[in-house]
Amino acid sequence: MTDNGTAIEARSLSKRFGGVVAADEVNFKVRSGELRCMIGPNGAGKSTLFAMLCGIQRADSGQIFFFGEDVTHRQAFHRVQLGVGLTFQTNRAFHQLSVGENLTIPQGSAKLENKAAGQERLEFALDAFDLDPRDETKAGELSHNQLQWLEIAMVLAGYPNLILLDEPTAGMATEETQQTAKVLKHLNATGLTIVVVEHDMAFVRDIAQMVTVLHQGRIFAEDTVDKIIAHDDVRQIYLGRA
Amino acid sequence: MSRLLALIGGGGDIGRGRVFWIAFGAVVLLFLLYPTQTSAFRVSNVSFYLLNIPLGLGMALLWGYCGVLSFGHVAYFGIAGYVYGIIAGNMPGDPLGPLAGVAGGLLASALVAGVFGYFVFYARVQKWIIPILTLVLTLLLETFLGQTAGYQWRVGSVLLGGYNGMTGIPWFQIGSLVFEGYSFYYLCVFMVLVCYLGLRMLVNSNFGQVIVAIREDELRTELLGYDIRARQWLVFVLSAMLAGLSGLLYVQWGNYITPSQVGLLQAALPVIWTAVGGTTSLLAVMISTFALNWLTYTLSAQGNQYAMVIIGALLVVTMLFFPRGIVVMLAERIGRLTSRRVSAAKS
Repeated sequence: MTDNGTAIEARSLSKRFGGVVAADEVNFKVRSGELRCMIGPNGAGKSTLFAMLCGIQRADSGQIFFFGEDVTHRQAFHRVQLGVGLTFQTNRAFHQLSVGENLTIPQGSAKLENKAAGQERLEFALDAFDLDPRDETKAGELSHNQLQWLEIAMVLAGYPNLILLDEPTAGMATEETQQTAKVLKHLNATGLTIVVVEHDMAFVRDIAQMVTVLHQGRIFAEDTVDKIIAHDDVRQIYLGRA
Repeated sequence: MSRLLALIGGGGDIGRGRVFWIAFGAVVLLFLLYPTQTSAFRVSNVSFYLLNIPLGLGMALLWGYCGVLSFGHVAYFGIAGYVYGIIAGNMPGDPLGPLAGVAGGLLASALVAGVFGYFVFYARVQKWIIPILTLVLTLLLETFLGQTAGYQWRVGSVLLGGYNGMTGIPWFQIGSLVFEGYSFYYLCVFMVLVCYLGLRMLVNSNFGQVIVAIREDELRTELLGYDIRARQWLVFVLSAMLAGLSGLLYVQWGNYITPSQVGLLQAALPVIWTAVGGTTSLLAVMISTFALNWLTYTLSAQGNQYAMVIIGALLVVTMLFFPRGIVVMLAERIGRLTSRRVSAAKS
């Protein structure tokens, strides 16, 4: 694997659903160690782009690279084995299994060369999210925010180099959102590359270094969080005001 | 050793703790002593109830733990039985014949399941289609075997026999030890124990946790870095081999096999045993397989023509009132009562 300093690179990614263009020649890069947020109005193509990066959906054309390796035609699990962790928009922890089992299962496919750093990140997150790997409570009995946190911890239990989080704070109260932000910033400070798809602008402002704005299946703007917030056209399309 | 015990005693199945294992040991002892207290005929009947357990356990593993329902696992039961009959029947008087038959039978069921499962799982066939495909396979096999009457349908000196079936299948033997009657009964007890304890270890391992995760959410499991197709395929082949083991024991028990053993009625039975006991527990399915085979036999032996109707009705009642299985729900109730008593005693 040739890590040229780029964690993710998408080249001319396109995807159509019938007559709807969900992704139109999307090009973007995320550097290793970066904390990037992706924003955009509903229907902008964020979820489609996310699904293509994960390997859940195939791009009609274009290429995807993780750490310099072309994964365009790789199965989803192969991409994860390169050191990528993913959470979904809707929580997909294993509700019928215990908290402990949810945290043990990812370790069977963990990227062991990252074990030292990965274990520290996992333990930090478990502590911050108040999760116990010996807990026999069924995940389905956890509160909404605990479930969201459990899924982040599950991803960290695979010792990834890069995590992609799709709306990790959806449905969380302000205090819990802030706690999530604190954890993500700490994880990023340890060298973990993080890409977050998010709607909550306060959260984005809190955590992001760079922000990518998607609109109508295209990269509309890409800049630092302050510049994006001050960007008139972004305010127009995303925030609904000039 | 302690890791081995932890694997056997883990939480992947109902039944944990010292009390359970003492009771389990007592039941095993009862089975070991049973032949000393009863007739050879009854021992033979119990052998029949026991020999179906690997098939039931394989179904529990595949359906209950991995979430894949096969409605045609008796195909592998039949394939192993017929292949054993062909190989052992062509080596009369050779003590290696039955051993070669066992190896051939298991290999044949694994091969057919491997090829079939490869196309099903690697093509990512939707789960609801799998029961139909598996049923079609077993019905095709039944149809094929049914038209093999006549002298032209023979392999070596062994006739397939059409709907009359294959007869005169040799007993199993190792060296000069021929397993028939009581020795066959003990062989069945031994095989059931090996299968049950081995599968308990499997479901308590990381592999076992991952197959349960696949059952719960395939995409989530795949996106934790697991090739779910390979694991589903492996479980499918393993459960087919367990069905094959039951098929081997069946032909060694009765010395015959007919195409009806891979027919629609037989195909439904493992599904019923598993559902009635509780799909998510090996122990429950082991108990229900034994109990329902006993019930079916007892009803039929009394001249009751509605044995299968009663078994079918039991499935409906289970689905309506015990959706997680009768044995599983009873075990849960006992567990709750026990923990309530323990906490009451403590306070």
